[in-house]
Amino acid sequence: MSLTRLMLRRLRWTLGAWLLLLVGICFATVSAYQNTYATDQQRRAAAELARADRATTVLYGQLPDPGTPAQMYAWEAGAIVTILVAVMAVLVTVSLTRAPEDDGTLELLRGSGLPQRRPLHSAMTVLAGAAVLLGLGCGAAAGLHTGGVDGVTWSGAAAFGTTIALTFLVLSAGTAVLAQIAATAGHARMLGLAVVGAAFAVRAAADVSGTGALNRLTPLGLRATIEPFSGDHWAAAVPPALAVILLGALAEVLGRRREYGAGFLRRRDTADSRLHTRTPLGLSARLGRSSLLAWTVAVAAVGTLFASMGSGTVEQSRGGDLGGFLGSQLGTGDPVAAYLAYSDTVVGIVVCAYAVLSVLASRRWEGAGLTDLVLTTGVRRWAPLAAQTAVTAAGCAVILVATGALGALVTPAVIDGEDVGTRAFAYAIGQWPAAVATAGCVALLIGLSPRLSALAWLPLAASALLALFGPLLEIPQRIQDLGFFRHVPDVAGPDPAAGALAALVGLGVLLSLLGAAATTRRDVRLS
Amino acid sequence: MTTDAIEVGGLVKRYGTFVAVDGLDLHVAPGTVHGFLGPNGAGKSTTIRVLLGLGRAGGGRVRVLGLDPATHAAEITRRTSYVPGEVALWPDLTGQEMLDALAGLRGARDTAAERRLTAEFALDTRRRVRTYSKGNRQKVALIAAFAAPTDLLVLDEPTSGLDPLMEEMFQRCVREATADGRTVLLSSHILAEVEKVCDEVTIIKDGRLVEAGRLADLRHLAASTVTARPAADRAVLVAERLRDLGLDVRADDGTLSVSTPRALVPAALGVLAAAEADDITCAPANLEDLFLRHYAVVPR
Repeated sequence: MSLTRLMLRRLRWTLGAWLLLLVGICFATVSAYQNTYATDQQRRAAAELARADRATTVLYGQLPDPGTPAQMYAWEAGAIVTILVAVMAVLVTVSLTRAPEDDGTLELLRGSGLPQRRPLHSAMTVLAGAAVLLGLGCGAAAGLHTGGVDGVTWSGAAAFGTTIALTFLVLSAGTAVLAQIAATAGHARMLGLAVVGAAFAVRAAADVSGTGALNRLTPLGLRATIEPFSGDHWAAAVPPALAVILLGALAEVLGRRREYGAGFLRRRDTADSRLHTRTPLGLSARLGRSSLLAWTVAVAAVGTLFASMGSGTVEQSRGGDLGGFLGSQLGTGDPVAAYLAYSDTVVGIVVCAYAVLSVLASRRWEGAGLTDLVLTTGVRRWAPLAAQTAVTAAGCAVILVATGALGALVTPAVIDGEDVGTRAFAYAIGQWPAAVATAGCVALLIGLSPRLSALAWLPLAASALLALFGPLLEIPQRIQDLGFFRHVPDVAGPDPAAGALAALVGLGVLLSLLGAAATTRRDVRLS
Repeated sequence: MTTDAIEVGGLVKRYGTFVAVDGLDLHVAPGTVHGFLGPNGAGKSTTIRVLLGLGRAGGGRVRVLGLDPATHAAEITRRTSYVPGEVALWPDLTGQEMLDALAGLRGARDTAAERRLTAEFALDTRRRVRTYSKGNRQKVALIAAFAAPTDLLVLDEPTSGLDPLMEEMFQRCVREATADGRTVLLSSHILAEVEKVCDEVTIIKDGRLVEAGRLADLRHLAASTVTARPAADRAVLVAERLRDLGLDVRADDGTLSVSTPRALVPAALGVLAAAEADDITCAPANLEDLFLRHYAVVPR
């Protein structure tokens, strides 16, 4: 019991943030489906369009008849929420099961007489609790709109909540099995996310080809089998529930047969690869390679998904009845440009987070003594930080070009409007100057003193707050303009102005150079 | 007179109000192995970081290979190999990739020497660094250091993770390096190692110079230790005779232990032999004794 409490304590912020996010999305989006279409006629036309459109079928599945607002909600918002729930299940399960073995925190507990099977049992208890909270929260978030939104009923909401809780449980139990098999926590995480990808692919194939039976094989197909707000088929909840029990038992059996800190799969710990680099720049690029690849795939996929979810918002904005947070974000310009500017601002914030982490690596290496090894091969004092900052800026460009390119391919298929592809690409790569400026700030802080790296997140946090809440809170425009975001012009609009972007790049380069120069005036500090 | 490979005069290094190195002198002649000794916190690593330009001197004159590390760190380190006491490497790289990176950055490489050393140190360079023990990580740094075509080797307690067999390997590498005309600064705690390979030593404590010179000369300062087990009924008498010689005698469970200056060793042995004592031993002076005499460390 005490281990369960300890696990809860370690993960309370993570679990709390996920729950808040998911229940928040479930609650906030319901009424949008009622308000978007003024008449049943309009809604039916939109539903017909959605059924005929292959891209939305791939993303969300098939919209059930007759397409009530509740059904559209379970179809579209439900698709996004279940994908996020699946990702949450993988990440949380790995941090509860394998991660404590890899980082050594469990070793001490095991050494203090903790029974071998206790950690897995405690993890399962926490996961079951999280599933119950998710189901109740999301179900209630939808059910509270009973009467206000057509088609929403408490029984439908219960089926919706059950769908989400079961999605979480199936993927958690599956990840718990993978955590016993995988070589490391990171490996388990990768396998788990691959399973989520496969589950999505099977669901998309089932919906596009019309083979409904396939949806019984994928945890992301539960919306199609249980059909919340349409059929509320409770019997369809039985097979996944059985799957959870079977997978849980399998994890337990496998857990007893493996060695502590190792899985059934062996980690590839040997390689014949060589490293051909003669400069700190090449070394930084090589060291950041795998993490850059992961960020690129993740940001491009999630960013594009986010951008393509905007069709409803764009329609609503065209109708002129978009208020609240989204209304404040989109403003009064062209709805397509406004939505893409908004979604790519979020992408920009995420890419800037990558920039902060990537430049901070240089500080970590200095503390560990790795910079000593590099400098004592005859490398100039300023070079390691300058190289890491330059590689970070280039990495941000890679992520943004990939995101922009994927967005340009996908968004025109789901959002109606002019120049959607061009705008999706331009708004994505337009985030690069903000990333350069952010990287420059961190480089300057580290260059002045490693201790100042505690402030590394400050410029990004301030800029993100100004960008996301500035309009809503009616902060004066000249103060909002000080943030790094929201300076990207509409390339399809009349004479786009890029002066602010050039200034951001200039600022970033200047701060980076100052930071690199500042390192030459201080000791290399070990921590 | 040839210029010293390392020439330090009156070096001062402060961290805030804490004086880590206080007026230190250090002279290392080219082509020699110089032992750099002192207890933990004496300022050895701090001094070495200043020599390599990783830290900035707060005062004094520092020349390494004739250059000032404050302004010419890159020029100095290009001709210098460095092995830290705690070797951290990038966990995702293999040992070979790590050697590639260090040699690539230096821009000068002796692949034949690298292969030979890798075999001699018995390091599997195909493995990723995260699977390496502390000793294996140290081997990577040692191989990179000895294989690099450099004039000066700065080794900061480089063998703390190595097993005895590898320590012997290490000592051979140091001798080979000097045979090739390279200079070695070896900071160490392992006195036997210093005694085996060093020509001269500098001993520091609390950031200040305690003693410096040729090992052969310093040995005169230390006392030999003579031990023996006299018969129980004669023990008190023997101890008294030894004290009469002016020696410091300690008795422990029937064994007498006498700290004896070199000149008095024959007299002390004579007393013990006359008393027909058992198990007579005489251990010559070693640096352990120098340490014990000088390093009554006070926390600061």
